Amino acid sequence: MPRPSFYQEEYYPSPMRHTWTEFQNNHVALAGLWCLAFFILAAFIGPMLVPYGPLQQNTDMLLLPPAWDINGEISHLFGTDSLGRDLLSRVIHGCRITLGSSVVLVLIAMLVGCSIGAYAGMSRGLRASVINHLLDAIMAIPTLLIAIIIVAILGTGLLNSMWAITLALIPQFIHQTRDLVRREFQKEYIVAARLDGASNQRLLMRDVLPNMVEVLVVQATMALSVAILDISALGFLNLGAQSPSPELGAMLSESLDTAYAAPWSVALPGAAIFLMVLSINLVGDGLRTALKKRLLQ
Amino acid sequence: MPMLDIKNLTLEIDTPMGWVSALDKVSLSIEPSEIRALVGESGSGKSLIVKSIVGAIPERWRVTADRMNWKGNDLLGMSASQRRAITRNDISVILQNASASLDPSATLREQIEESIPAHRLSKGWFWQRKQQRLDIAIQELHRVGIRDHNQCLSSYVHQLPEDICQKFSIAMALISRPKLLIADNPTVGMETTTKVQILKLLTRLNKTAGLSVLFVSHDLLAIAAMANTMTVLYCGQTVESGKMSQIKRRPLHPYTQALLDSAPSFRRDLPPKSPLSCLDGTIPTLQHLPIGCRLGPRCPRAQRECVKMPITRRIHGHEYACHFPLHRGKA
Amino acid sequence: MNSLLTVSGLSYRKNKNSLFGSQELFRLSPLSFELKRGETMAVMGENGSGKSLLAKLLVGVLEPEGGSILLNGEPVCNTSKQRRFSAIRMIFQHSKESLNPGLTLGRQLDEALILNTGMSASERKKQIENTLIQVGMLPEHQYFYRHMLSEGQHQRAAVARALILNPQVIVADEPFAALDPSVRSQTANLLMSLQQQLGLGFIFISHNLGIVRHISDRILVLEKGQVIESGKTEVIFNWPKSEYTKRTIQAHQELISGQ
Repeated sequence: MPRPSFYQEEYYPSPMRHTWTEFQNNHVALAGLWCLAFFILAAFIGPMLVPYGPLQQNTDMLLLPPAWDINGEISHLFGTDSLGRDLLSRVIHGCRITLGSSVVLVLIAMLVGCSIGAYAGMSRGLRASVINHLLDAIMAIPTLLIAIIIVAILGTGLLNSMWAITLALIPQFIHQTRDLVRREFQKEYIVAARLDGASNQRLLMRDVLPNMVEVLVVQATMALSVAILDISALGFLNLGAQSPSPELGAMLSESLDTAYAAPWSVALPGAAIFLMVLSINLVGDGLRTALKKRLLQ
Repeated sequence: MPMLDIKNLTLEIDTPMGWVSALDKVSLSIEPSEIRALVGESGSGKSLIVKSIVGAIPERWRVTADRMNWKGNDLLGMSASQRRAITRNDISVILQNASASLDPSATLREQIEESIPAHRLSKGWFWQRKQQRLDIAIQELHRVGIRDHNQCLSSYVHQLPEDICQKFSIAMALISRPKLLIADNPTVGMETTTKVQILKLLTRLNKTAGLSVLFVSHDLLAIAAMANTMTVLYCGQTVESGKMSQIKRRPLHPYTQALLDSAPSFRRDLPPKSPLSCLDGTIPTLQHLPIGCRLGPRCPRAQRECVKMPITRRIHGHEYACHFPLHRGKA
Repeated sequence: MNSLLTVSGLSYRKNKNSLFGSQELFRLSPLSFELKRGETMAVMGENGSGKSLLAKLLVGVLEPEGGSILLNGEPVCNTSKQRRFSAIRMIFQHSKESLNPGLTLGRQLDEALILNTGMSASERKKQIENTLIQVGMLPEHQYFYRHMLSEGQHQRAAVARALILNPQVIVADEPFAALDPSVRSQTANLLMSLQQQLGLGFIFISHNLGIVRHISDRILVLEKGQVIESGKTEVIFNWPKSEYTKRTIQAHQELISGQ
């Protein structure tokens, strides 16, 4: 594609590029993006690199402090827990489980939520109001509470807790998509496209979606941070992933008994959760600001 | 002595491409009780001139002028409070889309009573002053031709049609008894009949109360109908200024000619459906202003000299800035 | 010469439906007119007189309650939607709003071609470039998004979008209202020359009597959903019959003579 500008000194970016440029100007958000990229990398290739399995017990080295402590050993960089499992390996595996399952469930929630939301946005009358008001009512309840109720019905376990959080996140996406579709469909360019003979479905996919993608991505990052917190919260409450599994929340609750003797076994998984959520929030916030700046121009 | 006298006003704006002079040596003067039209297309800096007169410009922007006097007092050298006193007492502004510039959540009565300055009320108890306020409001509404004052005062903005809103905002502007009324595009998007009503109202106020009006617009038809003198702007440069009748009969600057031609109603001899004469190209954006005479690239008479800014020449009170003016042989 | 577009007895009713029955908000009384090839008709009227509604009915945004629209003697409601949409095209008042902010101009023009013609990709590209040149833009403009174009170019893009399907009638809702004088003349010239070249029928709504007088052959005046006057432009301007028309034209004359 030729560069679309007649002026040498000036460059008009496409809308998405423009958002990206605005995003790059925000250094904190960029740092968040790097941090998030590090976590994603760790989740993908980390488990291949770590020397110990997440469940491998070493009875000679119980409650070994991290390597930077005077009593620490370099063979266990983050130390070990009360069963002699290597904390570094467990945290990296934990990132994979927590982050991975959150991403999967957010994607599912987004797919389902956006389809229902688009349908609700385009339909009118009784059907639309049933979808809207029922789901808006559900949104009044915190996601974690809904998730706990669903887990209470389905039973504990990582998979069940994932289902529960997915179901709890869907209404947010429906609400957001419905609002967007509604708003966009009232604009004049939709009438113009309709006069080109486009069907509703085509309007949605071809005309509205390009204008919605960025907003949905922002919404997805926000949902991702909620999902990570919820998954680890359920794990911590022993409702989600169960004890030997290196899920970060479950690790926290497990090492709570030895928190006085080995504070690192609580602090390190906690720090991992904190950094993950922080970086995702920074990225999401940066994207939202960039988008707002672009739309203002 | 002119009431408002602006000479070589330059306004520089901070853009990502560096400082750009959005107004470039603009001159404008308003005599007492005249109607001066300020004509220009979008991006010509009309609104910026209005804003710099009333001092509503961000502090980061650089304003310089050889002279910017209000009744002989230098506006740029004044303290902020002195300047505010002038804009409160002597200058009033009405904006385009009156309904959007009024408060939607208060009745019109509250708004107009709020704008009555204290010196128009004689001393008295608060109930007496309340009655005075109402009387003044009604009186001002009658002045601008709103007969049904009770209904108007008790309404909210959205309940009234656009022309009543515009008249109301004129009434509100007049309540401080200003010497100068700045009307920024007051008739844009109105139907012909309502437009004529507003224009007649402004003319009447000018004739009877001796109010000076600075009429900012790009609607030449409306301007030609009421203004005494006219200043034409293009991209932040004053192109031509002088008496309305003179300019209309014999414009000297190619841009003025093009503007006049763009209104087909002025030309009786034009056969229907014949192409209208107009300048090629579009108004340059702030980032791509050409050097010298900014009309240069679009001007049919442009030559090599036009990359230098022409000096302003003056013939019989008719000022123009062009190297190759029209009708030069005859003038 | 037989007529290109014949509208007879077109009517519409806008209702407010609530739980307790429906309430009539606006009603367009049956109206009829004919438009010949290469002819321009202007629609005038106060705000809320149903002008925009008429435009929407003609292009097919709304379905009329009764009456018929015949294109070359065939009712458009019976012909396929595709043929109707490509034969009668619309230009919007806010041309900027009618362009999609998230798509390039070329993609939007392409969309119209994909939906309404069976052209191959290379033919479509060619057609897009030709149309852009026809309206006085450059072929490179197809890679532009709407925020990169100037006001005049938005208007040209809107015209290009209308023209790309080789229509027979163009309906324009206040095409000149939001424009600067020079852009307005440019657009008017563009439309007039295209009309001469292609023999388009052109229906437009406008407040600007100067432009109406200059480019229209006939005028239709609406008031509260009813046609109160129609006829040749010169006749209406010189001998207006109805109260509204008289008032408007008188006001216009006052402006010109400058009292």
